[in-house]
Amino acid sequence: MSTTGHKTWPKLTSRDEFRFISEQMLKRSTGDHTVVTLHDRHNGTTRFANSQIVQNVDTRCGSLTVTVTFGQRHGTASTTDFTAGAVQEIVSRATEIACLSPEDPEYLPPVEPQSYLTPPAARVETALAGPARRLEYTNEAIGQCRMENLGAAGIVSSSVATVGVAASTGLFAYEERTDARFSLTAQAGEATGWAAAAHRSIDHLKVQERTLTAIAKAKRGLELCELPPGRYTVILEPAAVAGLWSSLLWMLDAKSYEKGTSAFSGKLGRLIVDKRLTLCNLPAHEDLLGVGFTAEGLPTVVSDWITDGALKQLSYDRFTAKAGGIDRIPTLDAPCLSGRGAPLPTLQDMIKHVERAILVTNFWYIRTVNPTDLTLTGMTRDGTFLVENGVIVSAVKNFRFHESPLRAFNRVEAFTNPAEAITSETGKFLVPAMTLSDFNFSSVTRF
Amino acid sequence: MSAPERDELAELALKRVIASGAEYGDIRLLDSTTQTIRGEDRRIASIRERQDRGFGIRVLYHGAWGFAASSVLSVEEAPRIADLAIEIAKGSASLASEKVKLADEPAHRDSVVTARRIDPFSVKLETKTALLLETMEYVHRQPGIVRSSASLWACRDRKLFVSTEGSRLEFDLLALSGDVDATAVHDGRFASRSFNTPHLRMGYELIEEANFLAEASRIASQAVEKVQAPTTDPGLYDLVLDPEHLSLTMHESCGHPSELDRALGYEANYAGTSFLTTEKRGTFRYGSPHVNLVADNTEPETLAATGYDDDGVACQQWDIVRDGIFVGYCTNREVAPKIGETRSRGSNRADSWGSVPIVRIANIGLEPGRATLDDLFAEVKRGIYIEGHGSFSIDQRRYNFQFGGDAFWLIENGKRTHMVRDVVYHGITPEFWNSCDAVADRSHRRRYGFITCGKGQPGQSGWMTHAASHARFRNVNVIGGSSGS
Repeated sequence: MSTTGHKTWPKLTSRDEFRFISEQMLKRSTGDHTVVTLHDRHNGTTRFANSQIVQNVDTRCGSLTVTVTFGQRHGTASTTDFTAGAVQEIVSRATEIACLSPEDPEYLPPVEPQSYLTPPAARVETALAGPARRLEYTNEAIGQCRMENLGAAGIVSSSVATVGVAASTGLFAYEERTDARFSLTAQAGEATGWAAAAHRSIDHLKVQERTLTAIAKAKRGLELCELPPGRYTVILEPAAVAGLWSSLLWMLDAKSYEKGTSAFSGKLGRLIVDKRLTLCNLPAHEDLLGVGFTAEGLPTVVSDWITDGALKQLSYDRFTAKAGGIDRIPTLDAPCLSGRGAPLPTLQDMIKHVERAILVTNFWYIRTVNPTDLTLTGMTRDGTFLVENGVIVSAVKNFRFHESPLRAFNRVEAFTNPAEAITSETGKFLVPAMTLSDFNFSSVTRF
Repeated sequence: MSAPERDELAELALKRVIASGAEYGDIRLLDSTTQTIRGEDRRIASIRERQDRGFGIRVLYHGAWGFAASSVLSVEEAPRIADLAIEIAKGSASLASEKVKLADEPAHRDSVVTARRIDPFSVKLETKTALLLETMEYVHRQPGIVRSSASLWACRDRKLFVSTEGSRLEFDLLALSGDVDATAVHDGRFASRSFNTPHLRMGYELIEEANFLAEASRIASQAVEKVQAPTTDPGLYDLVLDPEHLSLTMHESCGHPSELDRALGYEANYAGTSFLTTEKRGTFRYGSPHVNLVADNTEPETLAATGYDDDGVACQQWDIVRDGIFVGYCTNREVAPKIGETRSRGSNRADSWGSVPIVRIANIGLEPGRATLDDLFAEVKRGIYIEGHGSFSIDQRRYNFQFGGDAFWLIENGKRTHMVRDVVYHGITPEFWNSCDAVADRSHRRRYGFITCGKGQPGQSGWMTHAASHARFRNVNVIGGSSGS
């Protein structure tokens, strides 16, 4: 579909316009190689807190970037000004920078023309959504919270972007992308409950359903007890699983692997997590946010990263890939973690069958403590509960965890089918909810 | 865009805002140039120059906000964006149960320019790349080093702020920084050490005055020592923290909780709220009597000292914690009246023309005490001296925190002895600051800037500077840097 063909305002840079602009820039460049990239975005966010709107914003921002190369010397300049003079200016500036740059031994010429998957990256209903649509969802979330006498804080956002890459090699890639988000923190005094969604289609945010989830968690949080730090069986909801996996996936850089500065060094081909778990990239999956190509114009690809618990893939820059004889660079723009086994339990089944566990809605402020063994820390947030004999008995004060996913995901007791997961600190995943044993909660906070 | 063109665009937009019946409106036109030179493993990996121009219009209509922004700087786009901001504000007003009322601020007409001896954009690229390449060479001279990086960053913001209340403010602001990192491997482990100039509003003299080559050798040697250093047993230790390390501790455990919008719930869905709730102001013992935390957005060269904030409020100095008692918040014109304050503290900032300004941490610093660094060590029987930033994490109300560091030395019987590794300490904010029993004197004071402070939805990066002298904290819970088997 084409959002730029619809009557939207502001009109984003179309394929033909980008082709024209990039051709002009490529013609004007005197470099051995030139790459032009486009990112033109229109986004709006309605933000609410204390059950009323506190920010309501709409921004249109386009940018053009050009990289010019002479031999192994390269320079990059960008601008948000699309007038002819400004575009000429960045070509000149990138040329000037390239001429003054030292040679880069890792420079590679631009990508040759490629063929791309065409994931359904843009949805017209999202592109056409404006302030009124965001207001409608905001009103719904606030209204439902009010009916339960709860406070509401959250966002509704929608964006549409056109993205392109063109190069002197003949490469040309162009795509429209949309993104819609909803997140809500329902507040019952000190107790909070959270739910969130991200989707290419604003119609799929499930605002009502997710609002009810957040409300239920907040209400359950009214009865609060404090447990001591220690090792607990945990039931991690998908957002909490995504938080830990996001940190793990960040560390798969191939260059670090080869230099011995990665937690995964020496682990390629070996079991790193429970052997029932598999992670793959699915750019065309309708519930993920996959795209057609990378910033360099490489095609995104369906790829296996972890198969039956074994690490199969690393994250490559083009130079390291070439040096390692990797022809097709795998991408990880649409990760899906799944577990082998049937039939798989639901989250409710996992709660029902556990004797004693901590149910975690989400983690917050996850940071690496020790990059050598990938020990992470972070806090539980917005819905942490004690489960005893298959029943949620009370909320518990939030814990700090101190745990390596490389250890934690080797203590998997149960998992569900993959479900949509998004947090304020991660991209979108499909991941199961999971029961893990002996999860290390190192301290407790005051609420 | 020329100055008259900018004025014409601002006038066009604000006329629409006034005609709509809105009670307030402002426009920010921003032209930013950023140059980033990044070196990695003895090569210059990228040189990027970014020109970012656009404008944002904020409208307060019947007590509710609307904001619209565009990178298209034209006389056609300005009224369209103004109308959109008005339309959005009207939508917000339809759900407003409590109307926004802005604290008064006189109209200001002024021009603010960063003092600089050397314009960083006038310095030859070859000079900068040569410095980074030589710096990385110095790092790699140290046996055991496997990776290096070095970078220079400079930003120039030319901004025009005009409000319907008659303020007209022009800015020409600079900021820059440089850094170098060294990574060593040993026995299947790896460890890094870094040197950073502070991010400051200065000219290129900041880079020239930092001795990159000497610092490169020092951190390379310390990275090797660090990766080979023994671990420490978990337990209670006295900590002596250097100013760079403290800048992060203050930022996370004092800066964020003192943002009034957080205390009032504006960030409940993302960055979080604050344990420093409004009834605590003036009575709550945040720290020991040695702890005086002062917000100073007037100190020259610091990141938040921009003359005026994005509400058009003049920068100020005020107390956050005085003699250990929590006494003040960072505020803007919207939230200040909610705690009975008649004037904003001037801490409302946006990270670009396309972002709406929000309350930001001020330049909060720890006031110097009277000790020397040797005095701080002298009274420690068993402790750890920590330099720089490492891992950091804190809960959303800013109580429970955990910090690592960049380098650690054992203190034994009053003397700094040898390096240790994998030190992480944990605390509850008021307990930690109440354990502070000494702060070094002004001669030890250093400033460190932050340009990636995340807050807001859509996310924004805040800029501020935190200054401190070394300080000592008693009986802090140190845990190991591994989760064990």
